[in-house]
Amino acid sequence: MSAITPAASTPGPEAASPATASQDANASASSIDRQILEYLRARGHKAAEQALLESLEQGGTPDENKAGPSSTISTDDLVKKLAIITQKSTKPGDSSLKDASTVLSEMVAIGNSVNIQNLVSSIGNVGAEDILSLDPGDKQEGYRELEAWVEGSLDMYRPEFRPILFPIFVHFYLDLIQHGFKDAALKFFADYSASLAPAHSATLHHLSTLHLPTHVQNDELAQRFRNEKYTIRMSRSGFSLLIGWLNEGIGGESLGSGVGFAGEKGKRGRGAIMRVVNNHLKFDVTSAPGTSVSAESWEESSGLLSSLIPQTAGSTTYDPMAFNAAKGQLKLGPAPVPEDLQHETERVVREQSMVDRDPGAQYDLHYARPVPPPGVVLPSQSDLLPHPPSFRTVDVKREVEKIRDARKRIRLDPSALSTANLSAAHGAAARSRAIPSICAYTLHDVGEGAPCVTFSQDTSLMAAGFSESYVRLWSLKGEKLKGLRSDFQTSSITGAKSLRKIREKGGSTTRKLIGHSGPVYSVAFDPVGGSAVPPKYLLSCSADATTRLWSLDTMTNVAVYRGHQNPVWDVQWSPMGVYFATASRDRTARLWSTDRASALRIYAGHLSDVDCVRFHPNSLYLATGSSDWTARLWDVQRGSCVRVFIGHQNIVSTMAFSPDGKYLATAGEDLAINIWDIGSGRRVKKMTGHTASIYSLAWSAESSVLVSGGADWTVRCWDAKSSGGPASKSNQNGMIVNGYGGEENGITKEHDELPSIETSDLLATFPTKRTPIVNVQFTPRNLCLVAGPYLSPEQR
Amino acid sequence: MSKQKARATNAQLTGLYKPEAVKDVAESLNITGLSDAIASALASDVEYRIHQVVEEAGRFMRHARRTTITTSDIDQALRVLNIEPLYGHFPHNPPTFRRAPPFPQAPSVGTVYFVEDEEIDFDRVIREEKITMPKGVNWTAHWLAVEGVQPLIPENPPAIPRDIEGEPSGIKREPSTARPGGLFPPTPPSSDRPSPMQGAKKQQQPLVKQVLSRELQLYYTRLTSSLLPPSSDDTKRNAALASLRNDAGLQALLPYLVRWVGEGVVNALKGGVQTDNDGRVLGVLLDVIGAILDNPTLFVEPYLHQLLPPILSTLLHSTLPPTYATYLRTTASQILSRVLRQHSTTYPSLSPRIMKTLLLALISPGKSKGTREGAIRGLMGVGKEAVRKGLVEGGGAKVVGSECMPGEQSPVVDSVIAALKVLHPPSSHPLPLNTYADTDQPLITQLQETLGEFFAEQLLFDRDWAAGILSGSSEPS
Repeated sequence: MSAITPAASTPGPEAASPATASQDANASASSIDRQILEYLRARGHKAAEQALLESLEQGGTPDENKAGPSSTISTDDLVKKLAIITQKSTKPGDSSLKDASTVLSEMVAIGNSVNIQNLVSSIGNVGAEDILSLDPGDKQEGYRELEAWVEGSLDMYRPEFRPILFPIFVHFYLDLIQHGFKDAALKFFADYSASLAPAHSATLHHLSTLHLPTHVQNDELAQRFRNEKYTIRMSRSGFSLLIGWLNEGIGGESLGSGVGFAGEKGKRGRGAIMRVVNNHLKFDVTSAPGTSVSAESWEESSGLLSSLIPQTAGSTTYDPMAFNAAKGQLKLGPAPVPEDLQHETERVVREQSMVDRDPGAQYDLHYARPVPPPGVVLPSQSDLLPHPPSFRTVDVKREVEKIRDARKRIRLDPSALSTANLSAAHGAAARSRAIPSICAYTLHDVGEGAPCVTFSQDTSLMAAGFSESYVRLWSLKGEKLKGLRSDFQTSSITGAKSLRKIREKGGSTTRKLIGHSGPVYSVAFDPVGGSAVPPKYLLSCSADATTRLWSLDTMTNVAVYRGHQNPVWDVQWSPMGVYFATASRDRTARLWSTDRASALRIYAGHLSDVDCVRFHPNSLYLATGSSDWTARLWDVQRGSCVRVFIGHQNIVSTMAFSPDGKYLATAGEDLAINIWDIGSGRRVKKMTGHTASIYSLAWSAESSVLVSGGADWTVRCWDAKSSGGPASKSNQNGMIVNGYGGEENGITKEHDELPSIETSDLLATFPTKRTPIVNVQFTPRNLCLVAGPYLSPEQR
Repeated sequence: MSKQKARATNAQLTGLYKPEAVKDVAESLNITGLSDAIASALASDVEYRIHQVVEEAGRFMRHARRTTITTSDIDQALRVLNIEPLYGHFPHNPPTFRRAPPFPQAPSVGTVYFVEDEEIDFDRVIREEKITMPKGVNWTAHWLAVEGVQPLIPENPPAIPRDIEGEPSGIKREPSTARPGGLFPPTPPSSDRPSPMQGAKKQQQPLVKQVLSRELQLYYTRLTSSLLPPSSDDTKRNAALASLRNDAGLQALLPYLVRWVGEGVVNALKGGVQTDNDGRVLGVLLDVIGAILDNPTLFVEPYLHQLLPPILSTLLHSTLPPTYATYLRTTASQILSRVLRQHSTTYPSLSPRIMKTLLLALISPGKSKGTREGAIRGLMGVGKEAVRKGLVEGGGAKVVGSECMPGEQSPVVDSVIAALKVLHPPSSHPLPLNTYADTDQPLITQLQETLGEFFAEQLLFDRDWAAGILSGSSEPS
């Protein structure tokens, strides 16, 4: 980490803040006179005065052909010339920072005449820096040169230098807008945005909407660029080359390029770049050689990082890795099961195996105490969110079913696929072991859209939230969904029998839950029953800023949770029920308990909407994905941020924790799926292949296969354990596209045509018929359920 | 999405919202003389605000899991930005914007989009408009993938969309469990036949082309090769025929087999001079047809129109190999009779059509004796009534007789006699007609009139037979 110091050949004033400059300018004339006198007495600059006057008479140096602001042309020109002279008079090699007052006094000293005094007073509240940066031509010229230099640089440095272009571009554009050169700004944008568009399209688009100085002042993103340092990682040698170029106009480029940019114009362009570099950029200089800075690490370590990383008191870190490391170790092991519950569960399992005369069931006990994955810290009972001390029948049932599920689970192991020869007979067997069976539930005749669908863990119920503000419930087993009658006396209920009596007659297999007043963005079934018994509660959140709890016994809304000020984007139960978390547009995530009307914790820190929220399987941590392009991990109880995951190049739209608790998969609008190692906070790998937004992610129970679904009407299976990376051969990822062997000609041909974005860990792609996949979910036995609304072709 | 963005940035350069538009609005509010600087500043600001709203609406679109912004998204965005929403726009009925070409007087304005103001004829609406209640949301479930393989069911998209029309796509459309071997022609387009199995899901039929599995392809190759003489012995052939006669599950092969038989017959009969080998081939092919008809699991009816030509060609061909001719014609007529027996009830026009063909072959002048013989044998196969119609009433016997030398012994003559025997069995103790007896004279005259000289001669020796043929009674008196 080092800060740049301005070099000799650049004009000093760029370091001066306008405020101090204007202060000085407003100083009384008498004090200026005194200063001048003192200065003259000290140095006796007759020659400098002479030179100034001469150059004033000459007029028309090349720089002045550019149009300045119309009203104050004469003064400005004067100041510009002044600036040049100041520059000349400064001794080359002088590296000291000049503050505004010395500059001013020097200027005044040079031209000891009445018009200079007038000039100084006319500078008024316009800072010297502003005047220097006013010429829009500088920016164009400077950026063009920088781009030429970067593109002309040696191959080994080019990937390192490229990231510099973007912040410089942004600041130049903002400068132009801020000084009112709208046309010049638009021209600048049109000329140079194309090369940056692939990597920064979202930001560029946002910037292109800024047209007036007030926009820059009020726009959040623009202000972040203005006020925060843009971090760029660079190797030491690359950094020194950059400094060299900024100072001298040469260095780093290959032979032949760079010649012809020297001269006054080039110098001023470089000066403009230097100003941005000094004021807004921060170089994270690594000692590693330049070639080792990969594109991926660039994503993680450049950008406006300082505000994305939660600042601990006093210290400021710009490195997400350093922050993650500072937060220490996390307890990622599975949540402990109370001993008495464990005993009871084992007893029940043993009994059942006796009753069923199932010889296999005696091995079930082996599943009752799963071995935690190595290398994780196990949380203790006291670390968990408080729960009732005694367990209930439903808890036992759930645990028993969990054991049974573990035994009957379809085991998915994609590692066999990579070694198996697909054309051989056992290739098909390997595939069936690697890729889950997927059952697709398609919603038909959905009006405005179904933002969310979810299945209960026992797959008896499906719930969907609709844009038309209601939630619809279906029984997947064809049973009738019956609520309770509304005309009963609570005193008349004595037991289960009388409860059955007050159930509604008739009913159908579907049920509409009405209560919200805005589109329903997420629904969630309570996890208490696990896969053993149907859920009792449903949570839904909506654009009306409320979260609602629905009882599936009575089929009514039993609680409303208000607190968010803005639409609630996501809601998620804690793995043990009772608690739940919400994510909202108001940039917070909140923790709630079903029996409290207000939030228990507020997780604030994201710079934009919190789009999704997920609980860690042991309920100690909460992950949030945000529109500020990051995901964070929070300590649920303390409410502090413990990890930050930076690397997505667009909004993080969905996430999923691996069941073993070690990994977090996030997917974003940048069409990439990232897998993060939670313990270290590092990115394990980036998987690409989707061609439109990814809506949902799900891990298989062994944490080996990741399934994703999205707006491109496909479901994709990923090998989470393989190393990934870009596909080495085009037909390697066509391996089982649509269940066909990659060696068949048609498929390889298809992949040769378009450059493949698919990484090699894409196991299979299953297209649907015009159905965006809104939800992807694994049952406890590793059957994959996906759901989405069918879009009929005539619908626009 | 990136396309949208690119479009947006391109439009950006010129500015979406023009200063002229600001001026127009100002004039509509009675503010005249708005300076250019103000107008362009306002236009820039308006554009920024619009983008702000659109950006916000984009979030609502994203969270609603859609890829198009609707008016409800804009509405929600305005709400959270604390701006009064725009009333009167419903996402249920999105307005369709029409594009007006650039106005020639003011080309700078560019294309203008407007909402069409639809004229509604109330009379018509009241009379005709039916309000249809939309169906409620419902769901269907299907297997998107089973153990890593996407099943080829109508719910799933065809495997590789761009190759649907492609001719050799049959291979790719197979599930990968069956490695494609030889290239097999897809089902002929002519045979979009309703089979009982497919009748159940008739609507889906055009969506999924039927493709032969590898096993069936193999079976087909083995079957055809073992049937034809050069590479087959009798045991093999009999086994093949037996399999064809009894095995189930060959329905998918039927069109191919029928076509194969048809082509085989045409090939065998094509050359003018027939060898014994051709005769053997024809015999086998007839056996194949017989076996197909015998198989109870095959649904042959839709293919009858393709099966009949080979049968009739064999039956009526003029020059069959002499050693096989009678055998072939007899077999063909037997098959014909079986076809008629099995299918004339469900296919009423079948027997008239066959009758017509046979009668034409029998009576029309210029046919060879072979054809005549075949026609007679065919008539015998069709039934007694057909024989009567052809030989007696239609004058077939007379035609054949006139073509024969007196005292000739030929297959035609034999066949006519055989046919007549079908018509009425000859008596066990023939009592000759007395040519000179008055009582027999009318009978003889009648005999000569109906059957012609030649066959009348032949019947003279049996009075009862002749009388039976003429009277049409089947019972010997």
